[in-house]
Amino acid sequence: MSTIGDSAQHISGAGESGKECPDWQALLERIPYARHLGLEVQRGDAGVLVHLPCREALIGNFMLPALHGGVLGALIELTARVAAQSQDTETRCPRILDSHINYLRSAKARSTFARADIVRQGRRTSLVQVTCWQGDENKPIATGQVQLLLPTMAAQQEDRHGH
Amino acid sequence: MQVVSVEQGQVCMRLTPQSWMFSQEDTKEICTSVLYSLADSAGGLAVFAGALELMPIATLDLRMDYLRPAGGDQALLAVATCRHLTDEVAFIHCDILSEGNRELLATANATFMRNTQGQQFHAGGRERESA
Repeated sequence: MSTIGDSAQHISGAGESGKECPDWQALLERIPYARHLGLEVQRGDAGVLVHLPCREALIGNFMLPALHGGVLGALIELTARVAAQSQDTETRCPRILDSHINYLRSAKARSTFARADIVRQGRRTSLVQVTCWQGDENKPIATGQVQLLLPTMAAQQEDRHGH
Repeated sequence: MQVVSVEQGQVCMRLTPQSWMFSQEDTKEICTSVLYSLADSAGGLAVFAGALELMPIATLDLRMDYLRPAGGDQALLAVATCRHLTDEVAFIHCDILSEGNRELLATANATFMRNTQGQQFHAGGRERESA
């Protein structure tokens, strides 16, 4: 396992913590493309992180070398999807409506981490802000906003109020 | 991913779906992130097609709208167009469709920085030559 400074230590000391973490992992494992990328959930002090281990197949530019921009896009979208789904009381599978990703620094061929912040979780939609970084969390390499649609059915809405 | 055609300012790419690209176990729907990757790749190529030269580029931002679910039974086509080009920036639009179907699956707008390494090279290059 790679080291990521402070965050890694927090993760290793958080063995007994919450039930959210296995949930995220289970949600990710249901996505064939997330399995293909090798995404894995880690629990840090500030919440749940998604880790993208680097491997040769993910490199978009061998000259630099740098990760493919699409791989970062996938990390952001899938992190947002799992975050929105884990917040939903019925873990409905959200549909990604749109995503807007800004690339801030070059993505080197190394481990990448993503953290999701839910801007708003509504009844029908969820807006999630995702930040990606490599070594230093204070130097993000990309940020993205993902808008998701939660499938609505009258029965499901009834259920929500029961929780 | 295959490149189908490159014309001035426009590129068409094709992607054959595989089962690992799906977004869920029980449906044959392609994950949106795969469309995202396709748009990013086709967009980058469209910068070269618009500029008619190969220069280092970097994606500044990319915005995707997913209009319809993408079924996994047909190949995806991405048509990326270079809308405007300045010395430093390229504005790209990309449409993603299912092969043999006119309905749009997704659209993307991206901004690319041009000459990302070239400029640094030129800026430092002259000095190094004289030194």
